[in-house]
Amino acid sequence: MEAAISSILFYLFAAIAVLSAFGVVASRNPVTSAMCMAVSFASTAAVLFCMGAQFLGIVQIIVYAGAILVLFLFVVMMLDVKSEESTLSRLPRAIVGVVIAGIFAGMVTKAALLLPGATEGKCPVAALCCDEACTTDTGATDKFGGPLPALKETDTKEISGTKALGETLFTQYNIAFVILSFALLAGTVGAVALGRKIRKD
Amino acid sequence: MEHNTLASILATCGGTESCGVWFYLIVTILKLVLVFAVILAFVVLSVWIERRVAGWIQDRPGPNRAGIPLHLFQRFGSKEKQPCKKLLHFFGVPEDCWIAKLFRWLRLDREVPTFGLMQPCLDGAKLFLKQELTPSYVRKAYFIIAPMLVLGPPLVAAAVIPFASGFSTPYGDVNMCVANLGIGPLWIFAISGLSVYGLTLAGWGSNSKYPFLGGLRATAQLISYEVAMGLSIIPLLMMFGTLNLQNIVQYQADNGWTILPLWGEGLTWERWFMLVPMLISFVVFVTCVFAEANRTPFDMAECETDLVGGYHSEYSSMKFASFFMGEYAAMVIGSALVVTLFLGGWSIGFGADAALHAWCDWFAVICQFLMFLIKLVAFIFFFVWVRWTLPRFRWDQVMKLGWLVFLEVTVANIFLTAAIIYFVN
Repeated sequence: MEAAISSILFYLFAAIAVLSAFGVVASRNPVTSAMCMAVSFASTAAVLFCMGAQFLGIVQIIVYAGAILVLFLFVVMMLDVKSEESTLSRLPRAIVGVVIAGIFAGMVTKAALLLPGATEGKCPVAALCCDEACTTDTGATDKFGGPLPALKETDTKEISGTKALGETLFTQYNIAFVILSFALLAGTVGAVALGRKIRKD
Repeated sequence: MEHNTLASILATCGGTESCGVWFYLIVTILKLVLVFAVILAFVVLSVWIERRVAGWIQDRPGPNRAGIPLHLFQRFGSKEKQPCKKLLHFFGVPEDCWIAKLFRWLRLDREVPTFGLMQPCLDGAKLFLKQELTPSYVRKAYFIIAPMLVLGPPLVAAAVIPFASGFSTPYGDVNMCVANLGIGPLWIFAISGLSVYGLTLAGWGSNSKYPFLGGLRATAQLISYEVAMGLSIIPLLMMFGTLNLQNIVQYQADNGWTILPLWGEGLTWERWFMLVPMLISFVVFVTCVFAEANRTPFDMAECETDLVGGYHSEYSSMKFASFFMGEYAAMVIGSALVVTLFLGGWSIGFGADAALHAWCDWFAVICQFLMFLIKLVAFIFFFVWVRWTLPRFRWDQVMKLGWLVFLEVTVANIFLTAAIIYFVN
């Protein structure tokens, strides 16, 4: 029953995520697009929750839905963006879009398949983020997810994967992490440089 | 929970294997109802506290008249005009005794003593019955969903706050916390951070200048203070080594509250060293809670001197009330989080929890729940006290405080904590 609830919620939130992601591109109003994106982020976080990766899910909400997208919305509202006239006509534009989206989807699929346990039908995110105890002591991980995380109340062990994620990030992927951080820092410095008022005197 | 009814429900559901699951579901629903009732009752109560304390601080009575209209009942035969006076007379207490004075100060000598508690109820009824006005120029869909997005998140965020410790029943253990997640405080930050959408969309959806400015201010302020808020609890998490709020409170019950380590391990001098970063965290966190709840001195988003009413200028009736309730619910959740992280949550303190648990689980849980409510009321009182003590900040002061003071202080505090943990412990 636990696994059934988890699976139902998983497919429900996955469907919402995909539909609202479609809403982002389909909508004409930029604010509606941004709000669809927020719903998509939130339901992606819910999907991660269903898989038992609580920390990853909550970080998804804090960082993307709670901060980045709010800034997006802020800018969209301030600038009052109108629809832009593109120089390309309809068909080439569609082809370019499909190619870019296809390359990105291929990258994501390849990366997902490389995760441990992905090809054996196990939940890849659980394998990545949960502690050993979480993935081994329940048989439910064969299907998506595992038990509802809150059901394991008596378990004093942290099952949020916070520790596992932190350890992986700061040991195995430390160099990639630092390089990405510098890329973000470069962006911030660039924004400050562009936004700075230049004194004429 | 009555064991008999529970047993009969479980019997009808059949199967001893699913017993645990059904028990879990029923208990969770009961806990949900309890949490919702407590939060909504506290929203009403904090409005009342706000107005009564405001009156007290400004040396005026405050709303004390709204009561049960006794003269209506008098027609039906009741002759008791002043029940309190009769009571005093019955016991032979003189009129100038301190008890009588206290009663008079509490307004017990008038009609039915409601202390003005009827006022929030009547305010609610008034807001329900007022005409609902939707201006013609608003962006309708966003105008309607914005109040919901403000009121919803604080109620959801309450799920991880533990309001008592656990007890065990024949069917399984009960943890007095709706969702005992391993990411406690982060859940609250994430979910209550979502209420910023409500403020932004209210400002934008109203399609008029002042609400728009109010919405922008709210967004900027909430995002700025979220950063400092998140960083300020890191020293705490470094000390506890867990993100689970129930475990954090349990630790505080055994070893002294975070900022009051007076028993258990709290008496060691290592722990007293830790008090320095903890107090810095406490001050920064409480200030950030004020900013996040949009309370004075940080109520820039609805500052009537420059913005008319801020993001809710165009709202009326129950939609306005939703913003109002959302603000108070955020205040209650913020207080609950401060109490949980720094003031020991449900713990009674001085080792009383363990002793009570050894005596009777049920009694311990009830006492802890009451203790949590007392702490919550005390902190809400503090909220109101600050409101009538500090004037509203200027907008640039708010931003400077967030980005130039708190961010640096919290980062330095993290290093200080790490140094103490490394060198002292």
